[in-house]
Amino acid sequence: MPKVTRRAFMKVAGVGAAALALSDRLLVSRAGAQAGAQDKEEAGYTICDGCNGVPFCGIKFYRRGDIVTRIEPWPGFPTATLCSKAYGTLQRIYHPQRIKYPMKRTKPKGSPDPGYVRISWDEAYDMIVGHLMRIREKYGPHTVFFYVGDPKEPRTAVQRLAATFGSVNYGDESSTACRKGANTAEVLTYGYGTTGSPPGKDTRSMLIWGTNPPYSGPANDWQELLKAKERGVKFVVVDPRNTPTATILADIHLQPRLNTTAALAAGVMHVIFKEGLYDEAFCAKWIHGIDELKEYVKAFTPEKTEEITWVPAKKIVDAARLYAGNGPGGMKTSPQGTTHDLNAGNNHRAILMIPAICGYIDVAGGVEDPTNPLEGLGGNWSNGPPVFCMRKKMNDMREHRVDNKDFPAFAELNFDVQTNRMVEYIKEGRVKAFLAWGLNMMIWPQTQEYQKAFESLEFSMAVDFFYRPWTHNYVDMVLPGAVNYERLAPFAVHGRKLFGRMPVKPVGECKEDWQIALEIGVRLGHPEIFFNGNVEAACDDILKMWGVNYAALRKDIEKGVVIPPKKPNTYRKYEVGMMRQDGKPGFPTPSGKVEAVSLILKKHGLTALPEYKEGLKTSQEYPLILLSGGRVPYITHSKWRDDAPWLLELQPQPLLDIHPDDAAKRGIKKGDEVVLKSQWGEIRVKAKPTILVRHGIVGIMHGWSKANVNQLVPRQFDPITGYPPFKEVPVQVIKA
Amino acid sequence: MARYGLIVDLNVCTGCMTCVLACKQENLTKPGIQWNKVLELESPTLDQITYVRQACMHCDHPPCVEACPSKAISKRADGIVLIDQKKCTGSKTCIDACPYGVPRLNPKEDYFPGNAIPYEQNAAPYRIQLAGKASKCTLCAHRVDKGKEPACVEGCPSKALIFGDLDDPKSPIRQRLWQSKQLLAEQGTHPKVSYIAPKNAFRGSEQKILENR
Repeated sequence: MPKVTRRAFMKVAGVGAAALALSDRLLVSRAGAQAGAQDKEEAGYTICDGCNGVPFCGIKFYRRGDIVTRIEPWPGFPTATLCSKAYGTLQRIYHPQRIKYPMKRTKPKGSPDPGYVRISWDEAYDMIVGHLMRIREKYGPHTVFFYVGDPKEPRTAVQRLAATFGSVNYGDESSTACRKGANTAEVLTYGYGTTGSPPGKDTRSMLIWGTNPPYSGPANDWQELLKAKERGVKFVVVDPRNTPTATILADIHLQPRLNTTAALAAGVMHVIFKEGLYDEAFCAKWIHGIDELKEYVKAFTPEKTEEITWVPAKKIVDAARLYAGNGPGGMKTSPQGTTHDLNAGNNHRAILMIPAICGYIDVAGGVEDPTNPLEGLGGNWSNGPPVFCMRKKMNDMREHRVDNKDFPAFAELNFDVQTNRMVEYIKEGRVKAFLAWGLNMMIWPQTQEYQKAFESLEFSMAVDFFYRPWTHNYVDMVLPGAVNYERLAPFAVHGRKLFGRMPVKPVGECKEDWQIALEIGVRLGHPEIFFNGNVEAACDDILKMWGVNYAALRKDIEKGVVIPPKKPNTYRKYEVGMMRQDGKPGFPTPSGKVEAVSLILKKHGLTALPEYKEGLKTSQEYPLILLSGGRVPYITHSKWRDDAPWLLELQPQPLLDIHPDDAAKRGIKKGDEVVLKSQWGEIRVKAKPTILVRHGIVGIMHGWSKANVNQLVPRQFDPITGYPPFKEVPVQVIKA
Repeated sequence: MARYGLIVDLNVCTGCMTCVLACKQENLTKPGIQWNKVLELESPTLDQITYVRQACMHCDHPPCVEACPSKAISKRADGIVLIDQKKCTGSKTCIDACPYGVPRLNPKEDYFPGNAIPYEQNAAPYRIQLAGKASKCTLCAHRVDKGKEPACVEGCPSKALIFGDLDDPKSPIRQRLWQSKQLLAEQGTHPKVSYIAPKNAFRGSEQKILENR
C-alpha cells in the first residue's frame, strides 16, 4: 500500500472534505486486497438501519474474510423480506467517501472551509473529555447536550453516558420531529404509546390514518394488512396522498386538507354518536370527558366538516358507518406523519378517540395492547432499557431539562428532550456543548438558524458515516462510525425474540457507536460503568435481565432466542388491573380512563379537548399547501442520496409532486424547473405532475441538501409536542 | 425439463422498488442499467396509480436470439434467455429486435470510478458486467440452478412476483396463469412473463357509483 506522508495529507486536507476521498481510496483498496479468492465464503448476520425504523429487519450476508460480498433476507427473522434501502446498505460499506478516521477542524467556525485534519482516537478522546470536564466545571453538567439522530441504535449507550456525566439533557430525532409527538398524544389519551396493532383474526374493519406501510413497513405491517384484505376486512384509509395503501386496501379513502385532522375526526365521531354506533357502556365507564367530547363534535356536521377538510360529506358518513358498524375495528396510525403541524398533539389525540368511542380498545381484533411485552424494556426497544439507561437518575434531574418551560406537557411525559428550541437554548447559554451521534441539521425548520447557533457552542462533535457539509461544517470534530455490518450492538428485539449479530471488522479506523460512547465514559473516569469499553459486556449487562448473554444469541444465531411469555394473552386489561403500575383497574392516565379531556394538558393550561384549530392560512399569494416528508420508499431523511448510488439512481434530484391540474394551471410540465416558495423561504426543484397528491397540495421529500425544504417551514411549534408545521405551510409554485 | 416463467400481479405491486435494488445487489449491474424497472401508470379518471414491473420476458420465441450476429444470445433448455457478454460485440441488434426494448448496452462508467470495490473483486461470473456489451435480466439463472427463486422474487415484500415452472400443473404459477395476460402477445414472441391486471378499474367504478348515488 502506498504511503501518504503527513505533509501530503495536510496538503489535501486543507481543501476540505472533498479531498478526503483521495486517501480514503487507499484504505478501501487495502480492504479490497483482503477479499482474496482464498477466503471461504461464510455467512454473517446483521440488522438493517436503512430506514431508522424499529424493529429492524434482519440481513443475512456473505463474507470472505472481513469483506461483505452479498446480502439476502435473514431466513426465519420476524421481518420476512428486505426493502430497497436494505439492499442499498451493501454499497454503503465500501463507499470511497466514507469517513474512516477521526477529524478535527483547524479553521475557526464561520470560515468557508473548516480545514478538517486527521487525528488519532487518543487525541479525539482527550479533546472531548477535556472540553466536557471544563464545561461541566464552569457551567454545570446540564449545559452539555447529548443527542442521537439517525440511526437510533446508539441511544441506549448514549443515555447511559449522559446520565453518568450528569446531564439530563439528552434528545433524539424522535423527540424533535419523529415518534415522540404522536407518542405524547397517545400517552395523554390512553396512558400508553401505541400506533395500533396489526389486524387479528377477529378484526372486521381497520382505520389507517396517515401511514403508508408498503413504504414504511413493507416487511412487517404491510404483510399483515395484505392478509387482512384477503380475509375481507373493511378498510378506511385517511391520507391526503393517493398511496398504494389507499389503492390496494381502501374501501373508503378520505383525502383531507392538511392540518384538519381534528376536524375530520370530529366529523366522523359526530356521525358515530348521532347514529348510535358508539359503545355506550365503554364511553360511560371508561372515557373521561365523554360529555364534553359529545358536545364538542355536535357542530361538526358532515357538511361543515366537508367545508373544513375538503372531504365529501357523504364519504365522511360512509367511513363512520363502515368503521363503527363493522366491529371490532383495528387501527394503524402513523408514528409521526399526523403530528407535523401546529395542532399536532390534539390532531393526533382526535384520531385516537375514534376507536375509543367505538369500544375497540384492547378487545380481540381491536386496538390490541400486548399482554406480554418483554420485561425490562419499558416500551419500544429503540428507546433503550430504563435500568441500563439510568432513567431513574435522569428523572431525578428533570427540573434541569431545557424544554420544561417551552413544552411542559412534552417535558413531563418524555425522557428525551424536545430540541426544536435549540437556537434559543444555545443563545441563552443553557447549552454550551453538543455531543451527537448521527446529527442532521436539516431536521430543523429554518436550518440556517441552527447552523449559526451551533457555531457559538464551545464544543460540538458528531459521529457519522459520511462527511455531510450542511452539518459537519458547523461542528468541531467528526468521528467515523461503523456501519451496520460492522456493529455488534445493539442486538435485535422483536416481541419476545432476541437476535444477535455477527459483524465484520470495520473499515479504516471506524468504531461502532456504542464503543465510542463507552470509551468516552471510560475516559471520563468510569471504567466499571462503561465495561472498560467492551461492547459485548455492555450488551450482556442488558441481556442478563432475561437470563441470557450474547454468546447464547450466537449459539443458533439464525433462530435467535425466545423469552417465554409469563401470562396467558388477556384482553380488556384495564378491567382487571393489568394496565396500571399500581395494579388497580383502569388506564394508566391520571383519571384512570381514556382521556377525551386530558388532565395533564389542563394542568399545564393547554387545550384539554382534542379540538380543531385552524393553522397557517393559504392566500392568493400562497394558495397551495406543502406536504413535506411524505414517504418515498427508497429514501430516509437525507440518507440514501449519495450514500448509495444504486438508490440515488432511482431519483437523482428532488422532485416536487404536484397535481396535473395544478401544474397545468401554471404552465408546468414534467421535468420543468420550478420555484417552490413560502413566506419564509424558497427552493428550486424539478416538477413531477402526479395524482399521488390531490388538488391543492404539493409534496416533496425533505433532506435534499441543495433544496432543503425546511427552509420554507417557519420556526413555529405546536404547544403540546413542540413540533413544527412540516405538513401545512402555504406555498406557491412558479415555473422558473 | 422445466419451463420457467414469472407472473407479475399488478394488484399488489406498490412501486416500492425492492425488486430493482435486489437485482442490482445480486447482479452488480452497471450505473443506469436496471434489469428490473418499475413504471408508474397514472389514471386521472380513476384517480389511481398502477405500478408495473418490467424486465426481460424470456420469450419462448425470442427475436433477440435470431437477430444477434455473433450468436451471443441463447435460450436454455429450461426457457431462460441469456446473453453471453463475452461473445457480444455490442452491435445493438438485439436492442432493435426486442419488441419490449429490454436489452441495454453496459456503459463504461462505474459507480465509484477509479476505486477497487472489494465485493467486485473475485466476484462470481454472473456478477461481472462488461462495458459496451448488451445485458439484461437472466431470471437469476445462477440461483435457479441451485433451486432458488430469482432475487427480485425473493425480495418482493408484497409477493407480487410469482416464479415457477409453467409446465408443472401443480406449481403456483400455473394455478394463476389463467388470470394473467401476456404483453404484446400479437408479436408472436410467446413471453413467459405475464401480468395479472389490477382490479382497480372495478374498484374505481364502484367508488364512482357510490359517490354519484
